[in-house]
Amino acid sequence: MFKILVVEDNEELNRSVCSFLNRSGYEATGCLCAEDAYDAMYSNVFDLIVSDVMMPEIDGFEFAKTVRSLNEDIPILFMTALDDFASKQRGYRVGIDDYMVKPIDLDELFLRIGALLRRSKIASSRRLSVGDFSMDIDEHTAYWRGEEIALTLREFNLLYKLLSYPKRTFTRTQLMDEFWDADTQASTRTVDVYMTKLRAKLSECDSFSIVTVHGLGYKAVIK
Amino acid sequence: MSRDKRIRRVLKALNNFLIFFLLVGFIVSCCTMLFVEVMSRTMGLELTSENIAAAAKITMLNVILLTLLLTLCDIIRRRLTVDRPVKTILNAGRRLTGGDFTVRIDTKKMSALDDGFEEIAECFNKMAEELSHTETLRSDFVANVSHELKTPLAVMQNYASLLASPDLEEEKRVEYARGISDASRRLAALITNILRLTKLENQQITPSFEEYDLSEQLCECLLGFEDAWEKKGLEIETDIESDVSIRSDAEMMSLVWNNLFSNAIKFTESGGTVSLTLKTEGEYAVVSVRDTGCGISREVGERMFDKFYQGDGSRATQGNGLGLALVKRVIDITGSEISVESELGKGTTFTVRTRRS
Repeated sequence: MFKILVVEDNEELNRSVCSFLNRSGYEATGCLCAEDAYDAMYSNVFDLIVSDVMMPEIDGFEFAKTVRSLNEDIPILFMTALDDFASKQRGYRVGIDDYMVKPIDLDELFLRIGALLRRSKIASSRRLSVGDFSMDIDEHTAYWRGEEIALTLREFNLLYKLLSYPKRTFTRTQLMDEFWDADTQASTRTVDVYMTKLRAKLSECDSFSIVTVHGLGYKAVIK
Repeated sequence: MSRDKRIRRVLKALNNFLIFFLLVGFIVSCCTMLFVEVMSRTMGLELTSENIAAAAKITMLNVILLTLLLTLCDIIRRRLTVDRPVKTILNAGRRLTGGDFTVRIDTKKMSALDDGFEEIAECFNKMAEELSHTETLRSDFVANVSHELKTPLAVMQNYASLLASPDLEEEKRVEYARGISDASRRLAALITNILRLTKLENQQITPSFEEYDLSEQLCECLLGFEDAWEKKGLEIETDIESDVSIRSDAEMMSLVWNNLFSNAIKFTESGGTVSLTLKTEGEYAVVSVRDTGCGISREVGERMFDKFYQGDGSRATQGNGLGLALVKRVIDITGSEISVESELGKGTTFTVRTRRS
């Protein structure tokens, strides 16, 4: 069972989030301040941290920074009333993985925690599997029912990105920014070419499909 | 009246008296000297020092008397032409400060006096008029806000007390709980919007203008509604010219797009179409959001940018009437333009024009 640490200074909210997570199949521990959280982390190993930002004494930014300096991999999710871009930016800069604005929807929190844990599992096992399809991150190889599918590095990276965030649509520019050089002359339509190639190479694979979303971008849908 | 003020008044009267005294003394001395000189030369009169001393005493008395008279006249004139209008204006000012925005100064009374007072009175009246406008706006806003805030609260309270009743069927329990969570979600959205609008109106947010890729922003914003249009079964059409950049505040502009998209999706029945186009026209980037929804009537169109105005009361549960007010505010701050074309029953097109960088 995954262990989740909830750091939130409002007692009621803390309690409700913890009991929701406990009922959803996680083991949640609530702490009312960062100090308590440090103590809890000293004696326990957690898989994920949900933290408030505006807390007395040590705030969320400082807390996340300290945690990140000790543990590079643990996913941190901020839940906060601060909805301006500057705060989000500051959060991501200290190394958080996700950001939710209060009042949060508990069902959405559940989905996001699931996705974060899934990605952290992929990252630690260095292997991504969808049905009979799997990708080995260190060797940059993809397998469909045990047979290797030859992918170029860029194709591999694109597919890996889409499959790491299933059902989320990425725009062409977002993909370009990540996998092409900043000074590339290629137009965003180049992404279309790559997607066509990927679809052709994966024509036999029926564990997932790459979907075009109304000319806006691409996403992977797991079947 | 305080002691200080009274002393100052007396000192001022004394001061005036002294000035008048010197003035009258000067004039009378000059006149007398001239008169005596001419008289003595033409008539060959010899003036003895006794004669002069006697005349001087009488003249001195005369001067003092005249000065007193003048000072009195001056005080009365002052009372009538300065103190009285000043007092009227002061009183009006005090009433205005006290919150009485109906107070006006009678400019007719002032017109008999110096020009200055009439102008001051007119200016004051204009100020009071403006203040009363903002006051009505503010009280309307407060009334609207409290209504909008209290409705979902009342809903939550009712459902909560229903939930407290024993032997509730499972089905009802779920329904009531959903009612509470829907109402609280609405309340949360409303509060977020009120805070945003207040921030924008107080100009606490000064726009930070930077060049950015509008095409990409539109794609990303529209993708935020992917779940919504899939759930509703809407067709999405896009024609977005790529690599169009504008110089504006990206975060504020995203408020505009999000509100326009969410309205388009909200007011379009399932099976309908929402389309987004981005084109360049000379110096401008033109974004159109078109839907095949219920359309907007002329009366609604005139008021739709007002705060808390909702065209269709029956849809009140789906929004809070602040979206377009926010949009308008951002459009004004960023110096863009927005226009609407609509036909009842056929659909609506919102068009935003922004200067390209």
